[in-house]
Amino acid sequence: MHELSLAQSLIGQILALAGEHKARRVNRVVVTLGPFSGVVRDSFEFGFNILKQEQEAVREAVLELETPDPEYVCLECAKRAVIPFPRQSDRLELACCGLAAKKCPWCGSTRLSPKGGTELILNQLEME
Amino acid sequence: MCDTCGCQLHDHHHHDAKVVEVNRSLLEANQRQADSNRHHVEQMGAVAINLISSPGSGKTTLLERTIEALKDTVKIGVIEGDIETERDADRIRAKGIPAVQLTTGGACHLDAPMVHGGLHVLEHFAKGGGYDLIFIENVGNLVCPATFDLGEHRRVVLLSTPEGSDKPAKYPATFKSADLVLITKTDLLPYFDFSVEEATREARLLKPDLDILTLSATTGDGFDRWIEYIQELIKHES
Repeated sequence: MHELSLAQSLIGQILALAGEHKARRVNRVVVTLGPFSGVVRDSFEFGFNILKQEQEAVREAVLELETPDPEYVCLECAKRAVIPFPRQSDRLELACCGLAAKKCPWCGSTRLSPKGGTELILNQLEME
Repeated sequence: MCDTCGCQLHDHHHHDAKVVEVNRSLLEANQRQADSNRHHVEQMGAVAINLISSPGSGKTTLLERTIEALKDTVKIGVIEGDIETERDADRIRAKGIPAVQLTTGGACHLDAPMVHGGLHVLEHFAKGGGYDLIFIENVGNLVCPATFDLGEHRRVVLLSTPEGSDKPAKYPATFKSADLVLITKTDLLPYFDFSVEEATREARLLKPDLDILTLSATTGDGFDRWIEYIQELIKHES
């Protein structure tokens, strides 16, 4: 539920930047949600799209969300591994077959520790 | 075709638009306030601990027992976060300790600006006397509070044995952000299917150097090590 407060602070930031750049309207907003940020992408988008209706300058703004692939450190062999989250379409199959456990691509260990990935960043604004 | 960029789609962009690289955290405003809160707490002579857990893990009971153990030697202040009611603050006040109740009116977490207000009220209660230790008891929630730095010096996450030892794996963001995990209600271990070993393993997977203590506020088992942890923190941070 904190997605709504984050969306609200995003809109505040956008409006301030639009003011600084003397823009009338914002067309596009690019945000990075870290894979371990604990923010639910759909809820965040939903919150943004509700809140933007309140403000003339952002009413038409399209939110583009980017989530980098998660990176792990193997606690057995200390190597780094980038392991993408399973695609939505693959999830059911993985869950049914019990294949969801991630493994280190170097040594096969399942002791993978998430590294970084907690960022929530407003990257880019397109405005006019 | 568009003469400016050669594309064939006209409704997807505007040529008088400009693109600005921003690269700023969405939490910028909260982070600024949190850093200021930390400084504020230090000016008061204190260290702050942010207590996070799901509802009913024993945060307030932990505070009551901690206050009993420390109140003769340590000046304590408490900021209580709840969606509704003054009940938790009343429980703390009953121990003779100043407590500010922040009621969020529905919000699922505390944020740094709310705590800022709480710190000023605590300061007022102290009448210039200052504090050694400030507890901030977050809203009971194992998800949302993780994202918001409140200006604490240590973040302590409670996990009570009835909740199950799979909680670190299920709520990774919160456990990854912890400085210390307290496994509470260990007096109930014989009655629940909770494995301290599993909880420890899962939590250290998220953060290999995580401190973990086990205790029961009811029997006092393991409580000494928690009290030592606080005393060390006060000694080193102030």
